[in-house]
Amino acid sequence: MSTPHPPIPDEGDDLLAAEYVLGVLSLPERLAAEARLRDDPAFAARVAAWTAHLSPLDADYPEVPAPNLLPQIEARLFGRAEPAARRGWGRSVGRRWLLGGLGAGAAAAVVGVFLARPGKPPMLTAEIATANGALIFQARYDAGTHVATITRTKGQGPGAAKDYQLWVILPGKAPSPVALVSAPRLRVTLPKLVAGDTLAVSLEPAGGSPNGKPTQVLGAGVLTRA
Amino acid sequence: MQDDPLAAYLNDVAERDRAAFDALYSAASAKLFGVCLRILDNRAEAEEALQEVFTRVWINAGRFDADRGRAMTWLIAIARNHCIDRLRARTDEVLPDDTGDPFAQMPDPAPGAEARTIARGEARRISDCFDTLEPARAEAVRGAYLDGLSYAELATRHAIPLNTVRTWLRRGLLRLKECLEA
Repeated sequence: MSTPHPPIPDEGDDLLAAEYVLGVLSLPERLAAEARLRDDPAFAARVAAWTAHLSPLDADYPEVPAPNLLPQIEARLFGRAEPAARRGWGRSVGRRWLLGGLGAGAAAAVVGVFLARPGKPPMLTAEIATANGALIFQARYDAGTHVATITRTKGQGPGAAKDYQLWVILPGKAPSPVALVSAPRLRVTLPKLVAGDTLAVSLEPAGGSPNGKPTQVLGAGVLTRA
Repeated sequence: MQDDPLAAYLNDVAERDRAAFDALYSAASAKLFGVCLRILDNRAEAEEALQEVFTRVWINAGRFDADRGRAMTWLIAIARNHCIDRLRARTDEVLPDDTGDPFAQMPDPAPGAEARTIARGEARRISDCFDTLEPARAEAVRGAYLDGLSYAELATRHAIPLNTVRTWLRRGLLRLKECLEA
């Protein structure tokens, strides 16, 4: 195999996709590959094909009983852990009753029972940090007014000809740009968000993303109840 | 999907069904913890990673398409990508990271009918195809995939100069691809 590779035009891309799936790339190369995954369907298809090719190796991963981390995971996603029974009443059953068109009196009674929790819109928070912790934003979001306060609690501004940009990511949706957050502290009105939705910050050319997609993601955080 | 109960859970999770999320954790956490432990080789970090993996699963469940691949393949890809990002962040310096980056959503694990065809009988074919590689290259591909080895680690392990290890492995990947698609 000392001959040069045959000149197939996209061979380099295909090998890059294989290297990404294998995991051998450096972090900058992985980030570049992930950016292409979002924008380049042909490259995404190559990655998908290699994922399928190599997935039989997954059988070699052992099963190791994991500790029950659900309370921590759900606290990150939904706020403080609640007992399942209360959760069922307070959230789904209670809401279904309210929306289900009960008589006004009965509805009022139900509201009375549950008013303590749904009556006051929650304050949601998220921390958005780079992995090395050099840059940290704290976000506080008032679910009643939809106003968020974004504070850069650690790290420098974006530098000349750059901006930090805030994004909202709803489940299963593409990120949507909402504000530039280069100032150390900023109040912005955001769309309606709930616990479990995600905020992220990217580094962009001055003025924000030129194409509506994040250029360089710096970090992201899931909104949880304060 | 009838033989893929995890896919049913994932579809329910996409509808924000927390009971399905709990059931998915019970059904899949041992395998995904095995992935995290093997790649990170550190129990505390593997537990942190597992939390992040399931957080991403909740956020991205709507992107899973049962027609395009098995749920466990999709879940393991999320776990591997996150753990490898963590590994690389350990050693690479002064880099912006994307850990916790929900933009970096994994690609669909298999592109439609073509990939389903590929997936059938894939286990047997890939082991046959590994047999066509010289043993050191086959070992390198497996080590990279399962343990998250970097090019630098592969070079050390296989006593290959760092500046040629990429070409060396890529030749193995090309051979593997030729065999798999033959």
